[in-house]
Amino acid sequence: MIVDCHTHWADCFQSRDGLDPSRWLADEARHGVTHALVLPYLGLLDDRLLRQENDDLAAVCAASAGRMIPFCTVNPFRKVEAVAEFRRAIEVLKMRGLKIHPWLQGVSINSDAMDELCEMAGHWKMPVLFHDGTPCYSLPSQAAMLARRHPKTTMVLGHCGLFEHWREAIAAMRGAENLWGCLCGPHLAALSEIVRRCDCQRLLWGSDFGFSFADVAGYRLGLLQSLRLNDSDYERITAENPKRLLGPVFSN
Amino acid sequence: MNEIIDAYSTPGTERETCLTATELLKLMDSAGIHRAVVAPEDREIAVNNTSGNDRILRMAGQSSGRLIPACTANPWLGRSACQELRRSAAAGARMLVLAPALQGFCFGDELPAELLAASAELRVPVYVHSGPHSFGSPTQLLLAAAEHPGARFILGHCGSTDYAADMPAVLASAPDNVWFELSLVRPWAAAAYAKAGHRDRLIFGSSAPRNCPAFELRMLDALLPVQDYPDIFGGNFAALLAEVQS
Ligand SMILES: [Zn+2]
Repeated sequence: MIVDCHTHWADCFQSRDGLDPSRWLADEARHGVTHALVLPYLGLLDDRLLRQENDDLAAVCAASAGRMIPFCTVNPFRKVEAVAEFRRAIEVLKMRGLKIHPWLQGVSINSDAMDELCEMAGHWKMPVLFHDGTPCYSLPSQAAMLARRHPKTTMVLGHCGLFEHWREAIAAMRGAENLWGCLCGPHLAALSEIVRRCDCQRLLWGSDFGFSFADVAGYRLGLLQSLRLNDSDYERITAENPKRLLGPVFSN
Repeated sequence: MNEIIDAYSTPGTERETCLTATELLKLMDSAGIHRAVVAPEDREIAVNNTSGNDRILRMAGQSSGRLIPACTANPWLGRSACQELRRSAAAGARMLVLAPALQGFCFGDELPAELLAASAELRVPVYVHSGPHSFGSPTQLLLAAAEHPGARFILGHCGSTDYAADMPAVLASAPDNVWFELSLVRPWAAAAYAKAGHRDRLIFGSSAPRNCPAFELRMLDALLPVQDYPDIFGGNFAALLAEVQS
């Protein structure tokens, strides 16, 4: 079992395949990926599209025989709508978490609405995954402050700081016990340092596959394997931690 | 087989750059890389310019020509930065490395003007690290390159990650004195830059030990075959170095 904890369902797939995930899944399966946490794409760019995209993403994942686990998005800039859509996504669409891309969505990680969404997520035990590594809205330290304010909510740095803020991501995860990190973006030496210095029980692996047709999972899984982790750490990062993060949603 | 040159590596002594010359040569052998640029590490780029340059020059001097020394000088040192460049170039340095974020200036401001003029005179290419965000963006480099037409610039990392969206426009409008180095650029993006008609400006680099050269080269080769793009994997950079005055 390998769970890719950072993927997207982008419009390029939907225009080619409709709501059928089989070709998307086949691309991932070629690299041994068995399950994926799937994040939105268009809705992060345009909040007029996010409701429809949440519907579509739920439908795509429902057709995946349990292999794709959908996260919704909402735009905290419009608090009332955001809270209502989050509720709908969880209660009606049965989505399993929330993705926020503060930089693309134009809202700071630290805002009123974000606080309310995080409380809801904590209540439902749904993780909140952030894009991170980009100022001025998406720094790991900003996510750490939010995580400290909401200790019952599990939050995930979707990129562990990318190339430039990975040291900050290490500090952020060390400074907030409910903050996890997805190894998706930093270079090899940074990944190795993150694994060495952070709590391995809170690390995930992700490829960012699905933005386009580019075959990115092979590259990023290759990077993870280049770390030459011992078997138990590799197993934790690729399977055990995702299971703990997402709860009993895996069908096989 | 054409010569593969790695245009950037940092055999350092601390933090994530720890790597000896022997280890670097071994990595190069396993990747099929003939020659590699060796550059000072972060502390040396920020504050210990002279001792860093000397360390690199010594290392290159013992490599039978396989390691190509780069030097650095912090533009805040003014005249003495120019002297340090001249001293290092006379001792064999073939490239000047600037890292605006480490050295504390915004690329495109007037601070490094004298240093850039000296590099133009010596025909020493100037490698500029892109990122983090406010320091060394691709667009800042383009403005500086237009301002200093006699200098030759290499944009390190092509603005990865967050300025990747700028790159098609930057590549299309880059003046003749700018080249683009590919370490930290993901293989699919590098292939797209090459296929958009910019192969004559692209330069392979690994940023070892931040990346593993063999792994990066293998991933690139799948999309941008080394044998079909000898210019990107060595030729373009060799032509730049050929003009350096010694
Ligand atoms: Zn993503």
